[in-house]
Amino acid sequence: MFGDLKRFDNGIGSGFDWFRPWLDEIFQEGAADIRSVPRGSFPMINVGRTDDAVRVYVLAAGLAQDDLDISVQDNVLTLRGRRDALPGEHEGDRKRPCFRRERFDGEFVRAISLPEGIDVERAEARCHDGVFEIHLPKREELKPRRIDIQAA
Amino acid sequence: MNEVTRHEAQANVPARERRSRAMRPPVDIYEENDALFVVADMPGVTREGLNVEVDGNLLSIEGEIRIDMPEGLTATYAEAQAQRYERRFTLSHEIDTAAIEARLENGVLHLRLPRKERHRSRRIEIKAA
Repeated sequence: MFGDLKRFDNGIGSGFDWFRPWLDEIFQEGAADIRSVPRGSFPMINVGRTDDAVRVYVLAAGLAQDDLDISVQDNVLTLRGRRDALPGEHEGDRKRPCFRRERFDGEFVRAISLPEGIDVERAEARCHDGVFEIHLPKREELKPRRIDIQAA
Repeated sequence: MNEVTRHEAQANVPARERRSRAMRPPVDIYEENDALFVVADMPGVTREGLNVEVDGNLLSIEGEIRIDMPEGLTATYAEAQAQRYERRFTLSHEIDTAAIEARLENGVLHLRLPRKERHRSRRIEIKAA
């Protein structure tokens, strides 16, 4: 399924834990997935799974319900959107002094490979406080089936 | 002096009480109209989980990420690897720390740090001779 997580290339970031992934990079051959993005990109994405679904959490601060475009095609989940970091900045002639600009500003696209067997018709998404939760249920017949052990 | 004692106190705290790992939220800082503005990305933080504090001239912003996750969820890929955000700034003496305003919207924290009255830029009137 998500077996080959190494395909998600993580470039050297400015976080405190840059050292370990940097070492990983040195000791493995690097052939990153063509759709991968450097670490620390906007938005941050976490993916998890339960027995009956895959859940994708998109941490996109500043975005509300209509600001993110979510689509699925051929087992690829694509997120598209635009984030204006400082709305109103371009108004007026006077440019205000900016001491620091770290937040992402502009359009973004993220693509995530999904495992086989997602029931796209039943997919749902909701958002709150800049976090989008995407619920991707697996097709009924593909859920893991527990096998009961009968007494001999 | 205060910095030293605070650091020592934390070293004696047992491991399980020590603060958990935190992410550093990206910020934009700009100045306009006699005030400094700090904008920080803290997606997943609600008003209840947000803590903005000023201690002397140290401004700290902390936020707990509140996301409901189902039981039995296994993580397969995570770019956000901590449950909270934390960042600190040293403020200069010209900031009126008692008048700091904070607003949280869609996971973005907006802080307005006004400068003290007497530190505001003042135009000097030129009187006719």
